[in-house]
Amino acid sequence: MAGVLLDRVEKTYPGGFNAVKGISFAVPDGGFCVLVGPSGCGKSTLLRMIAGLETITGGQVRIGERVVNDIEPMGRDIAMVFQNYALYPHMSVYDNMAYGLRNLKTPEPEILSRVQEAAKILELNDEMLKRKPRQLSGGQRQRVAMGRAIVRKPAVFLFDEPLSNLDAKLRVQMRIEIRKLQRRLKTTSIYVTHDQLEAMTLADMLVVMNAGRVEQVGAPLELYERPATAFVAGFLGSPPMNFLNGRVEKPGVLRLGDGTELAYDPAHFTATSGAEIQAGVRPERIIFSKDGSGIPFKLELVEELGLGQLVHGVLADASFTVALPAGVHAPVGDAQRVTIAPDAVHLFDRKTGARL
Amino acid sequence: MEKRAIFSSKLLPYLLLAPQLAITLIFFYWPASQAVKESFYIQDAFGTTSDFVGFDNYKSLFEDPYYFHAMGVTAVFAAVVTAASLSIALLLAVQADRVVRGATVYRTLLVWPYAVAPAVAGVLWVFLFQPSLGILAHALQRMGYDWNPTLNGGQALALVMVAAVWKQISYNFLFFLAGLQSIPKSLIEAAAIDGAHRARRFWTIVFPLLSPTTFFLVVVNIVYVFFDTFGIIDSVTGGGPAKATETLVYKVYQDGKLGADLGGSNAQSVILMIIVIALTSIQFRYVERKVTY
Repeated sequence: MAGVLLDRVEKTYPGGFNAVKGISFAVPDGGFCVLVGPSGCGKSTLLRMIAGLETITGGQVRIGERVVNDIEPMGRDIAMVFQNYALYPHMSVYDNMAYGLRNLKTPEPEILSRVQEAAKILELNDEMLKRKPRQLSGGQRQRVAMGRAIVRKPAVFLFDEPLSNLDAKLRVQMRIEIRKLQRRLKTTSIYVTHDQLEAMTLADMLVVMNAGRVEQVGAPLELYERPATAFVAGFLGSPPMNFLNGRVEKPGVLRLGDGTELAYDPAHFTATSGAEIQAGVRPERIIFSKDGSGIPFKLELVEELGLGQLVHGVLADASFTVALPAGVHAPVGDAQRVTIAPDAVHLFDRKTGARL
Repeated sequence: MEKRAIFSSKLLPYLLLAPQLAITLIFFYWPASQAVKESFYIQDAFGTTSDFVGFDNYKSLFEDPYYFHAMGVTAVFAAVVTAASLSIALLLAVQADRVVRGATVYRTLLVWPYAVAPAVAGVLWVFLFQPSLGILAHALQRMGYDWNPTLNGGQALALVMVAAVWKQISYNFLFFLAGLQSIPKSLIEAAAIDGAHRARRFWTIVFPLLSPTTFFLVVVNIVYVFFDTFGIIDSVTGGGPAKATETLVYKVYQDGKLGADLGGSNAQSVILMIIVIALTSIQFRYVERKVTY
């Protein structure tokens, strides 16, 4: 058991490409940290650097008390679950799980008991242990990959987009299983994904990355409710946050592009009058007004999700989405008005994207 | 994914196959059937008459100590050349797989020997090891080694083997390199995290995953030694000294072309054909079943 500490970690490839630009954060012992970001943001590179599969060109990675920069992967006391599972195709499931222990010269009786213990946790029966990986379904292979990680009882689990090869239904199921397993074993875990929903649901601690940098670190709900940048605000949440360009008219009032006024809570933002801003509003924080008050909204399309409705349209010359809960129906007709509560409005600097 | 063409007329598919079938018939089945037929006949020295003798040609073949000698030479030759060319090629492929800079140049250079004609390759090695002219022969003699492949049968066989191995490494190298590159990198990484050192990763992960390639190459190399080393043997030693480098295929040539024993020579080539058909069918049967994972 050990925490993981990253201190100004850098990755520059020989060609000069700077994939990871000075990242620092600490994962507490037993914590579940999710690295999330769009593809190419450096999250997988960072995970591979923690694993020892990529060299660290700057800064330090610590696992527990040790600086592991120059330690081989096998010496880092980690286990990794790969996106394609990376099961050894010529070995049985049992041998796949036993491989790491055999390399450590563990006595066979202990290997047997540890593999059986892991198989029990992962609900793999004896018959499956005899099979070759190609005779298993995607979900079962995923379990074997996890089994291979847990039999060694490492200090840290690393997951590199482990669910992206599964179909949607299985992904949700495995997501829950991974979370339960981690709660049970209390092993520090670092998990990479590009799926914000997976990130939100799994993490104790969410690290949102963009272009080799950390945008924000914190608990999932904290990031959702108080995004530090417009990028985080737009990345977390589905459907994503709506953004409107405008200017601060006076504290508490924004003037949007087409001249409409929008109120915000001045107690939470330090915007000065005249500042060019980007206002963000979550789709679920908007309601249709029935009395003719509010901001004009041109309704274009209604999507029925069963769980509710998504109403797409245009507000102040920007495309805009309203999410309605189940039982609430979108009004009929394309000329509508919506009300947005002042405390639902987030303000970001239009140039830097930082929260004001 | 199954792709099936639907032909409206029955004639067209046969027409499309015709060129391939014609080539196979003219250049394989016809000469092969001729060889089988001739192996049951005996011709007089001038080729004017030929008499049916049944299995006499085969019988005398198996009473000929030189035939068993050629078989032994071929077996040793095949075993050594296959083992050596496969191991050296695998070693080179493993190294080439790790090269990052200049990989294409390196690989191209390694593939070149394959483009050299067997006879030219033979001449090259003759010059290098010719007792009075060759620089490597001089080097060996200076080290106090009594090098003379024109008199010493063992040395002659070694020289032919070196030339044959040198020529075949490129081919094996290409297949091994392709095989290595088709092994997902994440498997090697997973093994590294699982605590396997480089050598252990190779023997427990890489080598077993290469086994289909290795098995294929073993069969191809044996067939190569059986037939395609003719040019090398002919240009390096001519089967000598004292038949020390006479393999089965070289004996076919010696007895048929030079010894004018067409019937006996044909009987030998029929036996060779059976050996190769057996090897090839083993390959087809097992390469996709047993050796895969």
